[in-house]
Amino acid sequence: MSDNILVTSLDEALKWGTGKSLWPFTFGLACCAIEMMSAMGSDYDWARFGSDIFRDSPRHSDLMIVSGTVTKKMAPRIRRLYDQMAFPKFVISMGACASAGGPYVRGYSVVDGVDQVVPVDVYVYGCPPRPEALIQALKMLQDRIVAGKVKH
Amino acid sequence: MIPVESESSTKNGMKVVYVAKENIFQYLKERKEEGFDTLLMISGVDYRDHLEVMYHLLSSSSGSRLIVKTKTNDEVDSVTSLWKGADWHERETWDLVGIKFKNHPNLKRILLAEGWNGHPLRKDYPMDKKQYVNLGDDGEDIVSYEKTEGY
Amino acid sequence: MEDRVIEINFGPQHPSTHGVLRIKVKLDGEIIVDAQPVIGYLHRNAEKLAEMGSYPKGMIYIDRLDYVAALNMELGYVLAVENLMDVQVPERAQWIRMLMVELNREASHLIWLGTHGLDMGMLTPFFYCFRERERILRIFDEITGSRLLYNYFAIGGVYSDITPKAIEMIKAWTDDFGSKLEEIQSILGKSYIYVSRTKGVGVLTAEDILSYGVTGPMQRASGIKRDVRKNSPYLYYDRINFDVPSRTEGDVYARFLVRIEEMRQSIRIVKQVLDKLPQGDFYNKKYSKPMLVRLKTTGESYVPTESPKGEFGIHLIGDGSSIPYRVRIRSPSFANLSSIPTMLKGYKIADLTAAVSSIDPVFGEVDR
Ligand code: SF4
Repeated sequence: MSDNILVTSLDEALKWGTGKSLWPFTFGLACCAIEMMSAMGSDYDWARFGSDIFRDSPRHSDLMIVSGTVTKKMAPRIRRLYDQMAFPKFVISMGACASAGGPYVRGYSVVDGVDQVVPVDVYVYGCPPRPEALIQALKMLQDRIVAGKVKH
Repeated sequence: MIPVESESSTKNGMKVVYVAKENIFQYLKERKEEGFDTLLMISGVDYRDHLEVMYHLLSSSSGSRLIVKTKTNDEVDSVTSLWKGADWHERETWDLVGIKFKNHPNLKRILLAEGWNGHPLRKDYPMDKKQYVNLGDDGEDIVSYEKTEGY
Repeated sequence: MEDRVIEINFGPQHPSTHGVLRIKVKLDGEIIVDAQPVIGYLHRNAEKLAEMGSYPKGMIYIDRLDYVAALNMELGYVLAVENLMDVQVPERAQWIRMLMVELNREASHLIWLGTHGLDMGMLTPFFYCFRERERILRIFDEITGSRLLYNYFAIGGVYSDITPKAIEMIKAWTDDFGSKLEEIQSILGKSYIYVSRTKGVGVLTAEDILSYGVTGPMQRASGIKRDVRKNSPYLYYDRINFDVPSRTEGDVYARFLVRIEEMRQSIRIVKQVLDKLPQGDFYNKKYSKPMLVRLKTTGESYVPTESPKGEFGIHLIGDGSSIPYRVRIRSPSFANLSSIPTMLKGYKIADLTAAVSSIDPVFGEVDR
């Protein structure tokens, strides 16, 4: 009997559970949001990876995908939404704009990267990144959560 | 009949007329009665020594188009009483080019945060002087030049 | 009475705002007494940045205006630049452009249909529409090498020819998309809930349409039959048979029907273009890439085109240098969205999502 019991600490189990049940937040900003929708749509179906249907309220979700250009007018609102999310919470910065300003970096009302606003766990490059890239980012985030490498 | 100051055309043969700034409201009103019932957009151009306002008109029945321009230095009459759609276009022109519209019911910034300094589509807008926006407790934006004050 | 009115904030983050729209809604019980949209949360300085680089460089910002129909945006820009500089475009390139633009119109309308379904509480059409859209994107991927933002139209032609494989894919797609469209339409149009939530909701009269400068499918759903492709044809739309669908009701349901019918017409156009596609150059050899950045011009031009959202045009002013002096974008969604106060007044709060999503706003283009 005792041979069959998998011995693990509660902590490990919790990490595994958190990683495999990320609930993303429906939050599209710009062009990248369309590719995010594709990743959620029929062909790519990212619910396969344990990150189920998008939640509509920040309080229900633990993963925020910043998909698009962060403008100065929007940045404080993003911060507020992030603050409303319950712990544990993770952020994926999708696309060149969210990561570093992208093609609009010289503009007068664009924030150069969402990492100035909220802490970011995984950056995805591309303009826009293909859905495969976003799915890879999700896998990376899951692996890091399971391995306990994510701080917040 | 309001006289036009000069007439020209775009490369693809669209008629462009210049009208004196005092007459612009009256002129557009006449054109509207004549059949140019759609106002496609209002835009502003900064020519360094003066500003120009452009009105793109379209007649939805005959399909003919007309571009009306007027030279100004600061303000022109609002046409919101002729077309309701002019409201947003005029606010945008004020926001980005800095042309005031007299008798506009609600001339506030539309694209940028309220309190922004300067009008970005002016040719002398300082692009290297960054401004930062934050959210006040009442939900309104606060603009400042200090990096620590916003995003 | 006055204190019964409550004010609520809708957005800028809300699953059915299609982006970052915020509406300040004043409610008396369930009835909307006033709705004021607040925009600008995606103001990305497209006009200013396009005025800071050479003519071909402006394309990347134009591309990202209406990101679900990037080719339609590019078309407006290249036509304006070509017009300003008297660039001759080979015939094959023009036909290829037409083909791509119509395919992109389908993709854009499919996105609209899917998200409109979501807003009405139906998840199924979303998956059906995205399945169909992915097929179009695979065609684009084959031809242009990217899925969403293409930068495919160049001044003087297009960047690459369409391959025989792509033509096969398009043919296969035209053959069965019609029946798929039927299927998608019946999911929504035969649903009693959908029809009763959209009929008579968000009505705009022809008078409102003209006053707000609303164009595109919204205009045609209110009884004004005007389409730039028909009324002042560009490319070779005058050599092609297609109808301009229109309705007179002006409500959300009419807009739904108009857009569905437009998709049918687009299939017709694509079929005809495939038949008529001539052989030849796809690019004007005179305008090679190093040459493009040195293009200089003076004068001005405004070229209207019909994008999936309405009349899209670029007013270009050149001052004789290689940098455009003024790039003014007429974005259809901006004008369409400004009709929200009239469109929502007097309806119930539950009608708000239906009415807003029937505008099909895309914020890259509203805020520029
Ligand atoms: S990275 Fe590119 S695709 Fe993504 S939001 Fe920015 S411009 Fe759009």
